[in-house]
Amino acid sequence: MKLTLAVLLGMSSALCVWAQGPEPQPAPAAPRANPPTPASSPGFLGKDLPAFNPGNELFTWDGKNWSISNNRVFEARFEKYLNAPEESSEDEKKYRRIIREILDKLSPKTFSTKSVDEAFRLLSKASDFEIDAHLCDSLGDAVYSAWRAMDANQRLAQANEGLEQERKQHEWNSQMAANEDHVEAPPHNKDAAAAWNKEQQLKRDTRMHPYVTRLAEVMALIKSNQLKKELSELQTKIEFQALIMQLFLQRRFEHVLIATRFYRGVFGDGDTQLRVGKDAKSFFARTAGAPPTVSTLDALANEAIRDVREGVQAYEFLVEKNELESASKRLGEAFVVGEYLPEIRTLPREKKRLALEFTQQANQLVSAIEVKDYTLAEKLVHQLESSAKDFDNSKPMAAIETAKTVSAMHLAKARNAAVSGDKTTLEDELKAATEIWPRNPALAQVSGLIFKQADVQQQALVDFDQLLSQHNYRQILENRVRFIAASALYPDRQEKLAKVLHDMEIIEGAIIRSSEIAKHGDYAGAWETVEKVSRQFSDDSKLNQVRADLTTEAAEFVRTLRTAQQMEERDQVGSSLGWYLKAQKIYPASEFAKEGVDRLTKKVMPTEG
Amino acid sequence: MPRRANSSAHPLWIIGAIVVLIFSIGGGYFFFKTANDPYRTLTPLDVHAYLENSNSLRGNVYKLDATVADSLAWSPVAGRLYSVDVTSGGDMLAVMIPAQFNQINIQKGQRFYFRLEVGERGILQVKDLKKV
Repeated sequence: MKLTLAVLLGMSSALCVWAQGPEPQPAPAAPRANPPTPASSPGFLGKDLPAFNPGNELFTWDGKNWSISNNRVFEARFEKYLNAPEESSEDEKKYRRIIREILDKLSPKTFSTKSVDEAFRLLSKASDFEIDAHLCDSLGDAVYSAWRAMDANQRLAQANEGLEQERKQHEWNSQMAANEDHVEAPPHNKDAAAAWNKEQQLKRDTRMHPYVTRLAEVMALIKSNQLKKELSELQTKIEFQALIMQLFLQRRFEHVLIATRFYRGVFGDGDTQLRVGKDAKSFFARTAGAPPTVSTLDALANEAIRDVREGVQAYEFLVEKNELESASKRLGEAFVVGEYLPEIRTLPREKKRLALEFTQQANQLVSAIEVKDYTLAEKLVHQLESSAKDFDNSKPMAAIETAKTVSAMHLAKARNAAVSGDKTTLEDELKAATEIWPRNPALAQVSGLIFKQADVQQQALVDFDQLLSQHNYRQILENRVRFIAASALYPDRQEKLAKVLHDMEIIEGAIIRSSEIAKHGDYAGAWETVEKVSRQFSDDSKLNQVRADLTTEAAEFVRTLRTAQQMEERDQVGSSLGWYLKAQKIYPASEFAKEGVDRLTKKVMPTEG
Repeated sequence: MPRRANSSAHPLWIIGAIVVLIFSIGGGYFFFKTANDPYRTLTPLDVHAYLENSNSLRGNVYKLDATVADSLAWSPVAGRLYSVDVTSGGDMLAVMIPAQFNQINIQKGQRFYFRLEVGERGILQVKDLKKV
């Protein structure tokens, strides 16, 4: 019974969400409870009958799936209801009293022609209230039409009684005409007798003809009236049943009860079978186990009212226990079924607001997960956990944690790709991480870091090129860490940087060595140490400074050596050799002097090895 | 008591004798020295001028008093190239001793009188040498 109710409610929900379009739900793999038999041809409401699966709260219709408690229409209506004040005005109370009175008057306990008439009069009163939406008017119209139809049938019955009298009269007349006595005897001649008989038969037929013809006409009229009566009654029943079905689908269960009780009052022939389509009939037969009747709808409406009442009671109890998730679900379910029932409409707003806050946060959580804002989602989960002790965080947290983990993995890969200069992988991984968790704070951080790193890298490369063109190798040495990192992706620059660092190693080594030699008072040796390097790296300022300082300290040696070199340049071999020898005398270990002497010796004695 | 005759030399005579002796020794030394310099007629090499521009002295013959410092090179055909420490001034020079003097034993620290000519590219070519 409950399943059938849910199915029928699903049908009504389908009408509600008709314009919304399907929400993407993981329903294709979800099991369907009692899948409906596909209709042979597409109809106004699609190919299939709607079905609701209470197991997963999915409503399936025409190949599409909706979560009954998680769609925009439901959320909007439910939130609107939770925010609305309870219907406790005098008008609404009066309306409830009238409806209650109508139901009481139509109750089988008090059912009579008088009570039906009184109930009929109350319908127009009930329809004066806005909450009724003039449904009682529609109901009154249907009852009145049925009564009119019943009156017409009565008149047809009376007409048939008159026709029946006439038929009987014509039958008697016809019999009299056929049995009229012969006053003349037939002739004895055989031929003459035959002609006489024929003439008598002709006379009899002529006498009977008007009666027979009229009799046939009367019979036809009687049959025609009987057919009209049956058709009129059937049509009236179908119209009335359609109205009951419509009220049921609109979840106006009190009106359904009123309508079914009027139906029984109007059509007293005991025929309560619903004239619905083949598919619906088969569906009812399969789910309810019997052909649908007006009583079926009556029972379903009663069941729905009871179910809603229990739902509201459960809500109030669960709220007291601070189990807001279950409470909100129960109230949501009760609202879906009994949106117009007094138990729902009269629930105080203060009680509803407890569910409202939870529902808003829950809806926000669903939205946050849908848009993949897992930071907000996690925050909401914690809020919901603190506000509702029965909140089940397993599903949202599983989604959040999974997304976070996968996003972090992609970001780690992106970082590695950035370090190794793999731009394609970097872009792919960043894109994947963005798709999984677009508002991941780490994403912006990593992206910023990568882009900042790229900027720093580009700036470092520009600086490196500039310093290289200026032969400012010392500055390159001082910023070598920056340039090593920046040139990692550029082999040509890497090669240049390696050469610069190697050269600077030589320069620094020479400066350190000269410093050590100078500490022992051997300024000529110290000078020679830096002089050898400075010939190769004449642009290094520090080297030049050290060299200049040592030139002052070893002035005589330097002057002697330089004079020797100048003389050598002027091809003053004798003089140059003399100066080199003098320099060697001043600093016997001088390599420059020795080289100069050796060089000039070879000039003097070319054959000498 | 009879007055004794004064027998001691007059001091002026003693001073004069000393002066004569000194001059005699100095003159003897100078004579000895001059007589010992075989190239006393030659002009000593102006080492400073040579070092400033050796080429400008090409073709001139000079004498040089120097001590052998080191052997720079040796060739059986061309001879030997030595570095010498000029006695006066402490400058160093290179002298080319041709092969014709190969029989002369030249060692580091030996002092020689060189008769030499400023040759091609200012090279000092030894023409003769005498050990001091």
